[in-house]
Amino acid sequence: MQALRTAATGMAAQQLNVEVISNNIANMNTVGFKKQRAEFEDLLYQNMEQVGAQSSDQGNIVPTGVQIGAGVKSGSVYRITTQGTLTTTGNQLDLAIDGRGFFEVQLPTGETAYSRAGNFSVNDQGQLVTADGYLIQPAITIPQNATGITISQSGQVQVTQPGSQTPAVVGQMQLATFVNEAGLEAIGNNLFLESAASGAAVTGNPQTEGFGKLMQGYTEASNVDPVSEITALIVAQRAYEMNSKVVTTADQMLATAANTKTA
Amino acid sequence: MDNAIYVGLSRQIVLQRALDIAANNLANTDTTGYKFEELMTNPEPVTTARTVGISSPVVFVVDAGVARDFTQGSMLQTGGPLDVAIAGRGFFQVSTSGGMRFTRDGRFKLDPAGKLVTQDGDAVQGEGGDIVLDPKKGPVTISPSGIVSQNGERVAKLSVVDFPDLSVLSKDGNNSYANPTGVVPLPATSATLQQGMLEGSNVRPVTQITRLIQINRAYDAMANMINGAADLSKSAVQRLGSTNP
Repeated sequence: MQALRTAATGMAAQQLNVEVISNNIANMNTVGFKKQRAEFEDLLYQNMEQVGAQSSDQGNIVPTGVQIGAGVKSGSVYRITTQGTLTTTGNQLDLAIDGRGFFEVQLPTGETAYSRAGNFSVNDQGQLVTADGYLIQPAITIPQNATGITISQSGQVQVTQPGSQTPAVVGQMQLATFVNEAGLEAIGNNLFLESAASGAAVTGNPQTEGFGKLMQGYTEASNVDPVSEITALIVAQRAYEMNSKVVTTADQMLATAANTKTA
Repeated sequence: MDNAIYVGLSRQIVLQRALDIAANNLANTDTTGYKFEELMTNPEPVTTARTVGISSPVVFVVDAGVARDFTQGSMLQTGGPLDVAIAGRGFFQVSTSGGMRFTRDGRFKLDPAGKLVTQDGDAVQGEGGDIVLDPKKGPVTISPSGIVSQNGERVAKLSVVDFPDLSVLSKDGNNSYANPTGVVPLPATSATLQQGMLEGSNVRPVTQITRLIQINRAYDAMANMINGAADLSKSAVQRLGSTNP
């Protein structure tokens, strides 16, 4: 019975849906997190009677064929890269990107990863690093005796040092953008890698054309909207339940068929 | 005599197919742009084996086709800049390797070259062919009439077409419809586009669940009838065959 397999595809799809929603809810408070959405498509159709088939030699055409669908499949899990709200923290090493772009992060392997999480710190050598201690590219070193750090919206990093009236420029932040941001490969720890689907990284300074601006003292909250996630969870649970009803019905019908008198 | 069993069987076969269709509807309650289907049946009168003297027409049930309900699905707000819903009649045109396809699923994306594509990576058609966007040029706006612009500058116009007779369309999977008879689509007149929205599936779960119950009960009833007919012929054989009635 096709209905049993069709219902199974429906249940599997809703299970994936719940997994994606639970990951969104779990990361509600993750800096720079972008919510994901499971996307579904209908599966292949079996043509029992082709649409437009001729039903007689006189050229009569079947008005609507008999097409039986095989259920649902998950097309993709799509990342929605809308802006998260900017939250003020007052920490002078917290940076949020308002607009397009990713920070470039050097992984211990030497590869470049990309991140929207701007909750930075300095390591023992005074270098600007992520929460996991990975270096920001291009590397920026804050002098030990710096009393204040100012990062402008266009990414210029200035420090004030004792005995000097004018702030000294110690570096320039850079951002990377992609044609298809949703196509980046997530590797955890708020990091993404370039992929064939994302296109090549285009780097540039903040606040230039196509790049967002930097906001010092802010972090970008996740763009997860708890209310819509919870309603999506309810819908997913009910859809799962309804598909299980199909399984029950198909099972009862098979039992009826099996109990038909044979003699 | 056996006609009753065969008529019952024809109904049971149709009911199984109806269940397959209801199962597909329920599996797709969460599929963007999905349109629910219902099996249509026809009475099929046949000439019976024994018609001498009496007219006892026997009518089988056969499936005649699948009716597709194209009513508008509910609109869901997503806020995605490349999510587009069609309100009213119409389909987006998508160019695939298998030819032109039509869809109401407006979950579009950009490919690495900036081309507007569907979930499966097939190019969404504008009135002048593929639509290529430059994300650097700023946010994308899509007007209700389908004009795609960036920074107030017109880039393309989404092609939205309609068919006077929707029954020519054949479902092709991946939320798309094929046009096997080659009818030329017309530009949609009543459709308006809504950016940041998606059209949900138009499956009404309550109807489908009651349909399941109905199918189940009808199947049961047919099984009872078949059992009754079998009992009848059994006792007939016993009584008529008995040498000492």
